[in-house]
Amino acid sequence: MKILVVLRMIPDSAGELELTSDGRGIDREWLDFQLNDFDDHALEEAILLKEAVGATVVAVAIGEGSNRVLQMAVARGADEAVALEAEGDGIIESRAIASSIVALARSKAADLVLCGVQSTEDLFGQLVPYAGTLLGWPHVSGSSRLGIEGSALRVTQERGGGIAATYEIALPAVIGVQTASKAPRYVSGSKLREASKTAIGKAPSEPAGFERSAEIVALRLPGQRGTGENLGDNPENVAERLASILAAKGFAGV
Amino acid sequence: MRIVACTEGSFGKLEPFSLEMIAAARGAGVAGDEVVAFFAGQELEPAIANLGAADRLVAASAGNAELIAAESYARLLRDTVAAEEPDLVLVPYSANGLDVAGDLAARTGWPLVSYVNEIRRDGDRLTVVAQVYGGKILAECSVPLPAILMVNPGAFAEAERRSVDPSKLQHSDATAVVAEGKVRLVGVDVPSYDSVDLTTAERIVCVGRGIGDEASIDIARGLADILGAEIAGSRPVVDSGWLPKVRQVGKSGQKVKPKLYLALGVSGAPEHLEGMSKSDLIIAVNTDPKAPIFNVAHFGATCDLFDLVANLSERLQAASGR
Ligand SMILES: Cc1cc2nc3c(=O)[nH]c(=O)nc-3n(C[C@H](O)[C@H](O)[C@H](O)COP(=O)(O)OP(=O)(O)OC[C@H]3O[C@@H](n4cnc5c(N)ncnc54)[C@H](O)[C@@H]3O)c2cc1C
Repeated sequence: MKILVVLRMIPDSAGELELTSDGRGIDREWLDFQLNDFDDHALEEAILLKEAVGATVVAVAIGEGSNRVLQMAVARGADEAVALEAEGDGIIESRAIASSIVALARSKAADLVLCGVQSTEDLFGQLVPYAGTLLGWPHVSGSSRLGIEGSALRVTQERGGGIAATYEIALPAVIGVQTASKAPRYVSGSKLREASKTAIGKAPSEPAGFERSAEIVALRLPGQRGTGENLGDNPENVAERLASILAAKGFAGV
Repeated sequence: MRIVACTEGSFGKLEPFSLEMIAAARGAGVAGDEVVAFFAGQELEPAIANLGAADRLVAASAGNAELIAAESYARLLRDTVAAEEPDLVLVPYSANGLDVAGDLAARTGWPLVSYVNEIRRDGDRLTVVAQVYGGKILAECSVPLPAILMVNPGAFAEAERRSVDPSKLQHSDATAVVAEGKVRLVGVDVPSYDSVDLTTAERIVCVGRGIGDEASIDIARGLADILGAEIAGSRPVVDSGWLPKVRQVGKSGQKVKPKLYLALGVSGAPEHLEGMSKSDLIIAVNTDPKAPIFNVAHFGATCDLFDLVANLSERLQAASGR
């Protein structure tokens, strides 16, 4: 089995996000880029499958810091690393990169494409249904467990309300991972150093397969929607206020 | 303009966001526009009993499937879109919607905007507002029609629940479509609430990834005990195995509405807010003043959660010991 796993580098949303002067993008100059969390789980799931049933894992990364994350992927067990050329340095739109991922899935003869169920930049649609549909392969988003039963893939998908559905799918398929069957592993510094010698392949970006798209007119920071009160950042003051708020509302025995 | 509003339901219940899709469609249209509700599920009753606010209901039922896989749902929706030739299709942002919206967009080539909170008609286009970067940024987009929008649950008020007039119902049997699917349902797990049912809890202390590690959960649990609250977690906390799945709040966990919701180190991603933003009193502690949780909190503090929990636990304990 050959697994292609997609790793997207995205701005760290926990950091400060500032808009560019034209208001259409975020200022990328001082941003920290990190691996999309769900893609991290997809990588882990790929390695777990490799360990369970044997597979070749090809990691493809896109965005700033791709080489670093590909070395990490190899240190964790990926067999091959490919950096996908990005168009410009703006948002990584899954709608735009889907055709490149499809081309790679074909040229690498992948049986299974794994990626995170979504990324924070998926505004114009998610990679899983785009790639799945373009490949003509079945696709399932939001997996929390993957396994192989005979020649079929077994996927557990999280639905709302804690309900989980399990499906069986004949390969090839595209799966959007929400949670790996086990938490992503850590790698040691020595493994990372060793992996830093790995040759990283390059793949050109294909033209996006869609003609018409929506476009961003402006980005803005959400105004404080609630009428919430800010209690500040001094823990003693906050605790004092909260204790009296909780008491006044009948939640504490004061 | 004709708008198809996708709805969902399983196990005899309609997903409440189905009614929000109809309201969103009404809001996006102008007088004279037609709103067609689309439903696919094992049984039709919940759809027929509730979706009367739409002008028509196109529904497919498959007695052979407890849950309709997104693959079959998407195929049935495609047939409906081909027949109805709508200008706009609204898909809820759900586990099912994630596969359905992109599938339709890839096959039709129509534009798709996800995580939509607002829809406005602008001549022959739409202007929509969508959430990106975990709700930290809003993107205003211009969308040519026909188009597909994936709409956030909770962004629109529910349309009125009333039953569908039989003359407005178009029903088809989807058994064959489901049987032909490549994605075969082999089991459904419904959580057991023997241990805890957060949906009925009156007080909840929820920990997010800001709690840092498993051992620290006990610190939050201590405060929960003092408050007589249930402990809950965001997805990463549950994924890490620090709390059981039945204690997850949000899109793929429980939707809760307690009298008190204390969020510690939770950023407030849209998928989390969907499960708790209707709580009576929301208190949030997060060191990042821009965390979206503060958009729904009634009281917010930007101090370290450990400092706060220690101080507050001590105070509450001293007060109750008096
Ligand atoms: C289909 C789908 C379904 C999902 N379902 C759910 C769901 O059911 N429930 C859910 O929660 N999520 C769900 N998610 C995930 C969601 O998108 C977010 O990833 C998740 O809610 C983030 O959890 P968090 O807030 O705990 O972590 P983070 O976003 O990492 O936030 C941690 C926060 O802690 C703060 N912090 C750190 N240290 C401290 C400290 N010492 N003191 C105070 N604050 C601190 C940080 O500032 C940060 O804001 C789903 C996603 C998808 C795609």
